[in-house]
Amino acid sequence: MSRDNNKSIAVSLATASCALLGTTPSSPVSAQEQHTWDFDTALLYYGENDDRVEDISLNVLARRNFLDDRILTLGLTVDSLTGATPIGAIPFDGPQTFTTPSGLQTRTRPANEIPLDDTFLDTRYAISASWQQPFGRMNSISAGLTASGEYDYFHLGGNFEISHDFNKRNSTVSLAFAFARDEIDPVGGAPVPLSRMLDVGDLSNRLGDDNKDVIDIVAGFTQVINRNWLVQVNYSFSDSSGYLNDPYKIVGLVDPVSGDPVPRTPTPGVDGPSHEYLFESRPDGRTKHSLYAQTKVYLGGQVLDASYRFMTDDWDIDSHTVDLHYRWPLGSDSYLEPHLRYYTQTHADFYRPSLDASLPLPAYASADYRLGEFDALTVGLKYGWRTGPGGEWSARLEFYKADGSVPGNLLIGNQGGREIYPDLDAVIAQISYRFGL
Amino acid sequence: MSGDSKFRFVFCCGVVLLGGCSTMGVEPWERDVLAKDEMQLVADPLEAAIDDHIYFSKEASSGGRGFGGGGCGCN
Repeated sequence: MSRDNNKSIAVSLATASCALLGTTPSSPVSAQEQHTWDFDTALLYYGENDDRVEDISLNVLARRNFLDDRILTLGLTVDSLTGATPIGAIPFDGPQTFTTPSGLQTRTRPANEIPLDDTFLDTRYAISASWQQPFGRMNSISAGLTASGEYDYFHLGGNFEISHDFNKRNSTVSLAFAFARDEIDPVGGAPVPLSRMLDVGDLSNRLGDDNKDVIDIVAGFTQVINRNWLVQVNYSFSDSSGYLNDPYKIVGLVDPVSGDPVPRTPTPGVDGPSHEYLFESRPDGRTKHSLYAQTKVYLGGQVLDASYRFMTDDWDIDSHTVDLHYRWPLGSDSYLEPHLRYYTQTHADFYRPSLDASLPLPAYASADYRLGEFDALTVGLKYGWRTGPGGEWSARLEFYKADGSVPGNLLIGNQGGREIYPDLDAVIAQISYRFGL
Repeated sequence: MSGDSKFRFVFCCGVVLLGGCSTMGVEPWERDVLAKDEMQLVADPLEAAIDDHIYFSKEASSGGRGFGGGGCGCN
């Protein structure tokens, strides 16, 4: 009998024993070698085209396995963010000058380029802790805390989940709640929505800090179909309320005929914006519903992981996401994993790349490209190799491309032929190491 | 169809589907494949969390698999 056969029988016996003793976790049992601590570590580089956002991120996830399936999980992420991001104003054939978020300087952007804000430089810290344990013979509960902080933003959240196994643990239902309170303390203070960008030193339209609350509920059902096939379906509800604006994003007022930004009368002796720009305004509530389905299929050593998500919200955004991973073993200790992801969304009902200066202002308006209409494609490849019991290195390289368009009814004057939507190309490169102690 | 009838229809479909599920699945000693690391629903939790944060920052949708994600990093 080969060593592999011995191992396979040993794993089968171990999993069967666990299942019969009722010590199986709610998901199918893991036969990995047991360590006191398991660590997942990753170094990530994320970089966008045109010197836009660049992020170098260090990530650690530590898992302590206690007796009786009690598990403590601790996470730490440190992000170092630099670069530039579209500010919301449209390009035209003249330079544009903006007051920086602090309100203390100006920046001029060249003609015919999508205006970017290059003043941000941030370090983000995120920590998480969760505790999971059995609750009765067929249930599992977990509770966790999350926190993250950056220069102008602080997040604190809690979550709780209960799951119940039945049908010989082939079926699992779960219900999870999360609550978060986020404090936003923008550089220079949060601007009054739809107020004008002002001269350097004039902070009369800044309100200081603000906050938002987010409640999430996720109801899930997982089913083992057969020895090689597993399916999960989740319904998610999410409600955000409070300050939902991006305090650094603006919308330009434009001429109804030319579609060009409306020039601003400068204040003598003081630097200030060259054209009329308004700070964006979003509703103070958002409710989202998502349906998510995932399946994993074992195909003679190869594993297909496929998922689909539909999201709809009361900002009129609908999105579809299809995500495919295919794990291809190369011998017994390494594998290749191609990744393909397609995403498409409709625009928010208050998405406006610019506002007609001759019309009354709407209640809400945002030119944030993430609220616009776009499709995105991710193509990637991962290579992983085992280095011993519980040890694994992996490296992945992915390309993310988002292409958007502005619907004709949102274009004003002669904007038709111009490239207004800031398309995005990004590279994601990651090296990971998993080990146990 | 009234709201009440719709709810009853969805509820009945759910009961029928759950009934169908009771005939699916495996015996405890047939879980060797399902027990493999690569067959877990979230096979790489750290990579999943990283991807969730990237897409949360660049798209108007988040969550589905789990919670929507916290914090900003939304440049």
